[in-house]
This record gives sequence, structure tokens and C-alpha cells, in this order.
Amino acid sequence: MTEELLKKADELLEKALFAAAVFQQFDQEQTDRIVERVFKAGFNNRVKLAKMAYEETGIGMWQHKVLKNVIATQMVYDDIKNEKTVGVISHNEITGITEIAQPLGPIFAVTPVTNPTSTVLYKTLICLKTRNPILISAHRGALKSCTETVRICYEAALEAGAPDDCIQIIPAGSREFTQMIMSHPKIALILATGGTGLVKAAYSSGNPAIGVGPGNVPVFIDVSADIPFAITNIILSKTFDNGTICASEQSVIIENQIENTVIAEFEKQKCYFLTPEEIKKVERIAISPDSGTMNPLIVGQSATVIAKRAGIDIPENTRILIAKLEGVGKDYPLSVEVLAPILAFYSTKDYHEAIKLCIDLNYLGGIGHSVGIYANDEKRIMEFSQIMNAGRIVVNTPTSQGAVGGIYNLLPSSFTLGCGTGGKNITTENITARHLINIQRVCRRKPNDKFFAFDSSKYLDESLDVNTIINEYNKNH
Amino acid sequence: MIKFEHFPEEKHLICRFSGRLDTLICMSISEEIQNKLQELKQGQSETNLIEEKIDFDMKDVTFISSSFIRICLITFKNSQKGNFAIINCDPFLKKIFKIAGLDDLLGVS
Repeated sequence: MTEELLKKADELLEKALFAAAVFQQFDQEQTDRIVERVFKAGFNNRVKLAKMAYEETGIGMWQHKVLKNVIATQMVYDDIKNEKTVGVISHNEITGITEIAQPLGPIFAVTPVTNPTSTVLYKTLICLKTRNPILISAHRGALKSCTETVRICYEAALEAGAPDDCIQIIPAGSREFTQMIMSHPKIALILATGGTGLVKAAYSSGNPAIGVGPGNVPVFIDVSADIPFAITNIILSKTFDNGTICASEQSVIIENQIENTVIAEFEKQKCYFLTPEEIKKVERIAISPDSGTMNPLIVGQSATVIAKRAGIDIPENTRILIAKLEGVGKDYPLSVEVLAPILAFYSTKDYHEAIKLCIDLNYLGGIGHSVGIYANDEKRIMEFSQIMNAGRIVVNTPTSQGAVGGIYNLLPSSFTLGCGTGGKNITTENITARHLINIQRVCRRKPNDKFFAFDSSKYLDESLDVNTIINEYNKNH
Repeated sequence: MIKFEHFPEEKHLICRFSGRLDTLICMSISEEIQNKLQELKQGQSETNLIEEKIDFDMKDVTFISSSFIRICLITFKNSQKGNFAIINCDPFLKKIFKIAGLDDLLGVS
């Protein structure tokens, strides 16, 4: 069995490697032509693919999945279309350094069930833009819609002259097979978006990896905020595809001086505050008691469906279930990430208590990911930003749409959000084409005048201390 | 796109390629090459043990596709060990075979 799988992995990788070799011959214009064609094909199929993904996974809302596909095509394309990714990409006369972009080689892309077709579209575009063949491993719950997405992209790429096998999807297989491909010596990079286990597997594979896992996004509403505006934006974000974006708000933190206003506004905008008994009922179906993490069966379900499953009665048009909690951690199960329209809510005695709570929430499974703040006080915005450990501090903006970029700000549009070392990532940036090239630097001779003017034999004299040498080194400069 | 030079006495076939060897071109030349190889093998008997030698001359090639890489591999597999070579590659083409992991196997020079 293992030998058979190994043979299958070798075959896939051989094809990818040939595609990588052929891709080397493409110039920027040819590459851009392929990317444009694939963008258009993906965009033209945005509705069909969204509906397929929704029907297959039963997660989220197809209308919102359309918008995700738009972000993954139109916004990503806008972002990368003018970027130089082939050959000489920059030259600096002053430093004498010329930068040359080289592709990485076959990229193994793992895609999640929550954003299936959009992640395939986005990863395909950034791989093609950088002349890297892509092998996609789709979540088994979204294999059909991802396979169709790959078919559409691959046909468009071939029509534009792309190398054979530049986009492949790995057939449904075992976890063993996925791990085999991850650790295959011919893989240049793993681009993993998904759960903690998957990301850990990517980093343990022995191959370079960009793996992005879960978040746990706290949103602080400052007393200086425009409260109705803040609530409208939070709801817009938390209900987007029923909360399936990992940058969606998980908890709202306020000072109790604005509690009544905030609660009234949430209720006015059709959110429901759970009673303590109802919180227990929701916890039972939303959080797995063994692991303390969210139950996959409620991911991307609407507030009314979740309430029904929990056995509680709520108004028919309820948009979000809100649980007022007193603490953070395992004794408060709803304080962890839940990719569904359930929000934790904290009211604290003052600003410092609020920020300390945000730190606890930020460090509860979401280090380095994203946080949000609503405020009209620049000092507080900057203080909050410097205290939080987050790749993206999203200001007065819905965090789901804000963190992925392209609509509410000029962050690169991305479905893989770097979380820095806190999230075991090498970067806090939104992963895009520029992360998928090796940059070679041609360094021309530009002698260091200070060094050559300095008598370097003085470095050998132990009696000379740092100040003496530095003064001499900088003399006449 | 392809010209053959056949030296029957030495059982030596040189395939001289030129221009872009894209997927379409490769579809048409693949059969041509295999037929030539069959011709080359004909006449081989147990008493006539001269091994055939096949060279792919890449001097005038400007682009190769995955299909061409596969033609190289098939030809290599059908030839006797060590008697297939890809010659006159420019450095850029050599790098392509290097990336594909085939430069040593296919005797790229």
C-alpha cells in the first residue's frame, strides 16, 4: 500500500517538476497572459463555483461565497497584475544591487473546507504569477467543487500557453498520502491553510512551509467609537459567510460605561443576548468537551440553525448569538474561536481592564493573527496596536473583510494570513505572489570608503577599546 | 522542427531539433522519432551486436515543453543504457533539464 502511494506521489511530483522546468522559459509577458486568462475564467465562474461549494459543504451562504471568489480573483488579480515576478525585478544604482526573481518549484497547496473554491483560485493565481506549478490538496468535504475550480483554471491556463500539469489536484486520498506529498523531496514549498493539526504537519514535513492556522479575534469598542457604526460593521463581518473567515470577530470587549448603549444597538440590529442557561446549551453543541475547540458541525451555520440545534427559542431573524462571559479560557468555552455567528461579549470596569482582557483573548489560540478596534482616539488606536500580538490590527473596519484586504484597505488580498512567530509563521504579512519567489541579488562592487580608509591592523590591537576604534573609523566622514 | 541524420553502419541516429518544441509540435514529431528508432533497431541481430546510439541535438531549440521532456525520457528508456544523449544545449536549456532532475540521467551536455 505504502509503495503504491509512493509511486503515485512520485508520478504527481514528476509532472509538477517538468512543469516547473518548462515554466522557467516564460517571460513576464507570457506569465501575465496566463494569469489574466485564469483570473477571467475564475471570475466568470464565481457564481457557479460558489453555489457548488455551498451545496457540497453546507457551510456558509452561497451569495457570500461569490464575494469570496471575487476577492480571490478580481482583488487578488488587481493586486498582483503589475508586479514584476520574472527575471530582473529591480535595480538600485546607489547600492549597485540588482534583484532577479526565480520561481520556487512545485508548491503543495492545502485548502480548507470553509473557503474552498476561493482559496484554490487565490493560490492558483499567485502560483502562476510566480511560475510555480501548484498541486492542490482539497479538503475531502469540498473535493468536488475544488476539482471543478482546478479544471476551469487549468483549461484557461493551457489555452494561454501554460505548461502541462502546471495545476494539479491530488485525488482523494488518505492522510498518509497527503503527508507523503508534504514531505516529498521534490516539493519546494507547502502553502497550508487550515486547522492546527494540518499546519503542524506542514511544518514537521521537512520542507519549507507557510502554514496559517486559526485565529481568535478580539474586537475592542472604545468609548470614543461611533457605536452604531461599530455594531453594523461587526455584524456585517461576523455574519459574512456565517462567520467562516478566520479573521472574523470572536469577542467584543467594551468598558461598562457604554454597555447599555452597545447592548441596545446589538439588539436593535437583530442580535440576541443568550441567558446564562442558553449559553450552556450553546456551549454543548458549539464546543467539543474533549478538545475545547469548536465543533465542525456548527461551522458556517446560521444563528437560527445553531439555536435550533441547541434547543433554544430566539427571534426568527436573529443574526448573531451573543454570550456575555466573565472570563477567558477553558472554563468559558465560548471564549475560543468559533467560525459561526456566535460572539463572546465582555464588559469591563475600565479601559485598562478591557485591554488586559483583549491580551488574554488574543493569546487564547489566536496569537499573531488579527484583532480589531473601533475608536476615534488615535492615541488609543496606537496603544492598542502596540500591545496586541497580531499581524493585522484592523481599525474601524469589519475584520473578516478587512484582514483579507482589497475592499476596506490596501492590504494585499489574500486567503492565507501570516501570523508571525506567535502563529509559528515566518511572516505576519498577507501571503501573496511576492512570497513565492526566490530573489537573487546581484551585488556589484561598491567599496565601503570608511573601511578602506581605516587602518585595519588596529583591530588586532587589544589595547584599543570600542570607542577609540569607532572614532578612528568614522574620522573625516 | 526536426531533421534526422542516420549513420546506419554505426547505428547512430542524430535528431536535430529547431525552434519551439511545444506540445503541438511534440505530438507530431513523437511518432516520427519512434519510427526512426524502430528503423535503427532493425537489422540488429544476435551476431550483430553494435549498439545503437541516439543523440538529440538541441543547438537551434528555443523552447521545450513537458511533452518534449517526456519524448526524451521515452527515447532514453527505449535505447540501450548509456547510448542516448542530449547534446549542444545552451546553458539555459541545461538548467531546464537540471530543474527537471534529468540532466545526469539523459546525459545532457
